[in-house]
Amino acid sequence: MENKANVPRRPIWTGSLTIGLVNVPIKLYSMIYDRGISFRFLHKKDGHPLKYQKVCTKDEKVVPWVEVAKGYEIAKNEYIIFDKEELEAVKPESDKRIRLDKFVDYFSVDPVYFDRSYVLMPDKSSGAYGLLLAAFEKKGKAGVGRITLRTKEYPALVHAYKGALVLTTLRYAYDVVDPQGFEELKKLKEPEKAELDMAVKIVTDLSGEFDITAYKDSYKQKVEELIKKKLKGQKVVVEKPAEKEVKELMVALRETLKQLEKK
Amino acid sequence: MSKKITKVEFTNLDKLLFPQLKITKAQLIEYYIKIAPKMLGFLANRPLVLTRFPDGIDKEGFYEKDAPQGTPTWVKTVKIYSETAKRDVNYVLCNDLDTLIWLANLAAIEIHMPLSKAGSREKPDFAFFDVDPESPATFEDAITVALLLKEKLDKLGLESYVKTSGKKGFHVLVPIAQKYIFRETRTFVHQIGRELAKEQPFVVSEFKETKKPGKIFVDYLQNSQGRTMVSPYGVRAVPEATVSTPLEWTEVKKGIKPTELNIFSVVKREKDPWKKILENKQRLKV
Repeated sequence: MENKANVPRRPIWTGSLTIGLVNVPIKLYSMIYDRGISFRFLHKKDGHPLKYQKVCTKDEKVVPWVEVAKGYEIAKNEYIIFDKEELEAVKPESDKRIRLDKFVDYFSVDPVYFDRSYVLMPDKSSGAYGLLLAAFEKKGKAGVGRITLRTKEYPALVHAYKGALVLTTLRYAYDVVDPQGFEELKKLKEPEKAELDMAVKIVTDLSGEFDITAYKDSYKQKVEELIKKKLKGQKVVVEKPAEKEVKELMVALRETLKQLEKK
Repeated sequence: MSKKITKVEFTNLDKLLFPQLKITKAQLIEYYIKIAPKMLGFLANRPLVLTRFPDGIDKEGFYEKDAPQGTPTWVKTVKIYSETAKRDVNYVLCNDLDTLIWLANLAAIEIHMPLSKAGSREKPDFAFFDVDPESPATFEDAITVALLLKEKLDKLGLESYVKTSGKKGFHVLVPIAQKYIFRETRTFVHQIGRELAKEQPFVVSEFKETKKPGKIFVDYLQNSQGRTMVSPYGVRAVPEATVSTPLEWTEVKKGIKPTELNIFSVVKREKDPWKKILENKQRLKV
C-alpha cells in the first residue's frame, strides 16, 4: 500500500476564486479517499450477493423508485411529503464563486471544524493562480470564504499546502459539540505543582516531529492478509455466467435431452 | 430464462481449464452434455472418484471421493466405509444428466469409476486389462499388445472391448456376469497377462517389472474392490484435453493418434462401439 492516494482524474467542481478584484478560474479536485476494506454481504448458504430492496412497512411489498417520495417527520409517524421537484426548486444555486473576504492564521481555526479538503488547480490561465499561491505562501495566512457544493453551502478555508492551493470545507458551529457541555469538566481539580511539572517534563521529552506515514490501519492490513490466504484456499467466487455461453450450453442441453428421451 | 431445463447453476463458465488450447469450463460442460447419451449408462450406480481442477490443469488439482460441501440435495450419494480413512466416505453417484453437468461445473475434469456397482461392490461386471507402455515403448507398441490380447480373448470365446486410456495406453475390458468376485477376475486377468508375457518378450505381467523401460505392462491389479479406471468417454487432465475413447477393434491400428481423440473430435464420432457392452454378460472360466 502506498502512502499517498492517486491523483484524481476529474474535477468535481469548477468556478472561480476571487479576492477583491482578482478573479482566478479554478477547478476543484477531491483530496480525501476513504480506503478502508469493504465487504459485500452474501447469502451464507450459496455465496450469492444480497441486494437491498425498499419495502413498504404497511404491506411488506417492494416499492419501485418512481413511487418513492421524501418525507419530513414532524411528529412520531407523521410526515410532510415532498416531491423531488419541490425540493429541487429550493436547492441553493451554486454561484460558482468562492469569495475570500478575510485572512486568518490557518490554525486559529481549530481542526475540529475541518470537514474535507480539496485541491484547487488553475482552470485555463495559470498566471493568476501562481500569483495568489505566492501571496498565500508569503503571508502564511489562510483565506476565509464560502462555497456551495451540490446542495450544501459550506464555510471554507483556502491555504497553501505543498505548492498548491487547498480548500477545506468547514463544519458549522452548531454541528460541533462544545466539550464544556460535559458535567465531568466542572469537577476537575487544580493539579499539584509537582505533578504538573512531572507531566510537563514527560510531554517535553516525548515531543517530536509528526510523520503521518508511520501510521497504518492494522485491521485493514490483517484483513488483506486474510484475503490473500483465502485466495489460495477456498474462495467464494460468484460470477454471472456469460449469457452467450449459457445459451450455447442450453442448445447442447436440449439436443441431449431429446436424445435421452428417445432411449 | 431457460434455466428450468437443468437444476445446475453454472459458475465461472469462462474459467480456462486447458490453458494451452484455451478451453474454458463452458466447453468442458458442453462436451459432457453432448457425450452424456453415450456415457451415462457406464456411470450409473458406481461410486465415483473425481479429479477436480478448479483453476485449470496447470494448477494443482485434487482427488475427491467425498461429495464436496454444498452438494445439492438432488445429487445422489452413497456412504461407504473406508478402511484406510476409518470413516464413511460419501461418494457421488452420477445417474442422470444433471449430475454429470454438475460434476463438469465443479471442474471435475476426470471422472473415475470402479469396476463394480454400489449395491454389489465385491462383484465386478468387467474384467479389466490395463495396457500401459513404459517409455521408450510407444503407443504403437501398445496397439500391438492390445491386438494380441484381443486375439487371446477371442480364442477363449470372450468378446472384448477397447478404449484409449486418454494417455499413452489402452484399456481392454471383458464385460461379465456379476457372479465372480474380484479375486477371481484378478486371477483371470493375471493369467492372461502371464501367458502374453511368456509369448512376447516386451510384455510384462508382474507389478515389480512395471517400470522396466521399453516394456508394456498388462496390469491386472486394478481388478480390486475400490480401484477405479477413467470412465469411458471421461476427459483426461492433459494439455490436449483427450478423452478415454471407446473404439471399434478395427480402429486399433497404426496411424491412430490418442491425442487426436479429444473433447471436440469425440463428440463428432458417430460410432458407439460400446453400445452393447453392458448387455454382454459373459462367463469366465476360472
